[in-house]
Amino acid sequence: MLAKVKRFMSILTAEQQEIKKATKEFVAKYVIPHAAEYDRTGEFHQYIVEAAKESKIFSMCVPKQYGGLGYDALTQAVVLEEWGYGCAAMGTTLGVSPMGQYSVLIAGTEEQQKRYFERIVKGGLSSFALTEPGAGSDVAAGRTTAVRSGDDYVLNGSKCFITNGGYASIYVIYAKTDPSKGAKGISAFIVERERPGFTIGAADHKLGVRSSNTVELLLKDVHVPAANLLGKEGDGMKIAMKTLEMSRPGIAAVALGVAQRALDECVNHTRKRFPDRKFPPGQMLEFRLVDMQLQVEAAREGLHYTMSLRDAGQPYSEESAIAKTFCGDVAMAVTTQAVSLMGSYGYTSVISKCMRDAKIMQIYEGTNQIQRLVISRALLSPAPSKPAGQKAA
Amino acid sequence: MNFQLNEDQQLIEQSARDFAQEFLNPIIARLDQTGEFPKEVVKELADHDFLGLHLPADVGGANAGWVSYVAVIESLSRSCAAVASIMNNHAMASYAISYWGSAAQRNRYVPALIKGDLIGALAICEHGPAPGIGPDALVATKTEGGYVLKGTKAYVRNAGVAGVYVVSAVTDAHDPNALTAFIVDSNVAAIKVGEPITTMGLHGCPVADLVFDNATVPEAAILGTVKGAGEIVRRTLALASLGEAAQTVGIGQAGVEHAAAYAKERVQFGQPIGKFQAVQALLAESATDCHLARLGLRYAAQLAEDGQPFEAEAAMVKSFLARLGSKILVDTCQVEGGMGYSEAMPLPRMFRDIAGTTLLDAPADFPEQLIAASIA
Repeated sequence: MLAKVKRFMSILTAEQQEIKKATKEFVAKYVIPHAAEYDRTGEFHQYIVEAAKESKIFSMCVPKQYGGLGYDALTQAVVLEEWGYGCAAMGTTLGVSPMGQYSVLIAGTEEQQKRYFERIVKGGLSSFALTEPGAGSDVAAGRTTAVRSGDDYVLNGSKCFITNGGYASIYVIYAKTDPSKGAKGISAFIVERERPGFTIGAADHKLGVRSSNTVELLLKDVHVPAANLLGKEGDGMKIAMKTLEMSRPGIAAVALGVAQRALDECVNHTRKRFPDRKFPPGQMLEFRLVDMQLQVEAAREGLHYTMSLRDAGQPYSEESAIAKTFCGDVAMAVTTQAVSLMGSYGYTSVISKCMRDAKIMQIYEGTNQIQRLVISRALLSPAPSKPAGQKAA
Repeated sequence: MNFQLNEDQQLIEQSARDFAQEFLNPIIARLDQTGEFPKEVVKELADHDFLGLHLPADVGGANAGWVSYVAVIESLSRSCAAVASIMNNHAMASYAISYWGSAAQRNRYVPALIKGDLIGALAICEHGPAPGIGPDALVATKTEGGYVLKGTKAYVRNAGVAGVYVVSAVTDAHDPNALTAFIVDSNVAAIKVGEPITTMGLHGCPVADLVFDNATVPEAAILGTVKGAGEIVRRTLALASLGEAAQTVGIGQAGVEHAAAYAKERVQFGQPIGKFQAVQALLAESATDCHLARLGLRYAAQLAEDGQPFEAEAAMVKSFLARLGSKILVDTCQVEGGMGYSEAMPLPRMFRDIAGTTLLDAPADFPEQLIAASIA
């Protein structure tokens, strides 16, 4: 108990602070100056991905033994918040790329991990493909199939809303090996970009995170060796859920960055508009800014707590869902308030981009309704002998 | 007490819905993508008698009253709030001139504004803490026979396309709170329209700063009395806020209806998602916010129509929608999930549009201050 409290109370280590500082500098130099133009065109921000190669940040979730940076979860949250602060679309590219990697970490053999992470360490992006047109929240309704054929599996079907799908080098794709078994018939496969029959469909034009690449993936008789199956046949659902548990706090971190950015923009604008002590902003404006800060601070503390649990090897499934839901909802509420509060300035500045970007935070990686289902099941599950609302130490 | 629109009002509302169907629906996508000012549609609004709806008969208006006016704005906004926003700003300029203008001013501007041959705009906001204060405040210096205007008006809607602006300016440096209103023709030398400002939504309704670089206007350009802009601005902006609230309600209602239809069609976990309580809650709360806002809006409009004080009630609607207006689209988009985030669907445009109708443009003067002051 004491160890956990200490961990929770600890502020960032010297190393984490160093990484935060370097990330801030990178974001100020590359992300912020280009965000508006990429948002306008909706073009994928390849330039930023290239610029980030030197720091190897796209391998931050890859363990050191495979040549990655091997950042702990709290450090990842710190990095992703800064990227989200600069541009949620670019933060999404960085934050979602590890999803495929997580699936491989969770269920991959050493050989599979080595093969997968090699591409990431060399600068490739990865992608996680679960969603289908008829299977959004209802993952088990997927219709993509994988049929065993000799030493191979043959994949057929399509995936949609796949982040980084058009630019990834390696994917984890979920398909039914036994359609009669529903959720228990899903399996996970490593699929390399260059497999014949694997093509990239149209990119979506979205309300926000516009330069984040979101595409359809089309699979027509795509042969992958049985050696690309993660875990066993039918393990897919478990792997996917565990992957989402790991990745959700990353999205929370991006959302937190968006909220902090909107708040900072409001504060800067307010200082500029009311430079003279004779004309103060007034309590109505001041207190609303404070209310925004209360939410942002609480969101950060919850997220860092979740990451600390994960780094300490403790269960964090419920906290993961709470962090994602709370940070996403805070990002939406704070940016919406910011646009309304800053009037025409809010409606015509980066604040409005923050608001458009924030909306996806409540939707992707499991809508915040699905998160609430996860949380309510934990909340109302047969009670262990502990006072209500208190977590077992 | 009757909460229903009367027969005339229903006819007017229906005609606005028909108009939206015929003239707005076909141009929504183009307007949103290009942001081009829909000049031809504004002319159609005039030809269908919408631009004189709110004005008294003695200036050529239909005298249909504010309840009808907000019903029209709501109906247009269900299709295309950008056009409703253009109309609202235009209508407030023609209202101010017809209400406070001299006979000469009314004759000169109002018929052309009703016919849509002339487009009007309000230029009230400034970049400083409040109009009249700040380094860029618009200052009018008295000269022989007129005034010289210097300064900047901020975020003027209909800027660049308007032929006439109703502006407020400081005429007494010692009394910056007592502004004077002017009617300024757009072709006066030394008035520059700034670069078009990109807005999140309401594309097609232009926004820009209006820069006065020692622009000369005659004494006859004063609207109302010297230092009399306070009442003009207060009342006109209160009415404008009713028009804005009607836009919010119109967009919100369209969003709720679209999401409800989607929830009936979209099947997950073996049933339409509308069967899930979580989805029902999103739809129900959004519909509730729309409904209550509309009631408050119509109540305030009825007061204005009856010649009663309505500013506090208008401020309540504004305060309510500043908190909850955008949330209606935040939540209805949520119902449509990943699909609802794609610009191929209509809700993202509405999400961007609705945020533009709930702005608190003058932080120095929140609606809550007015409401608090009104509570006896």
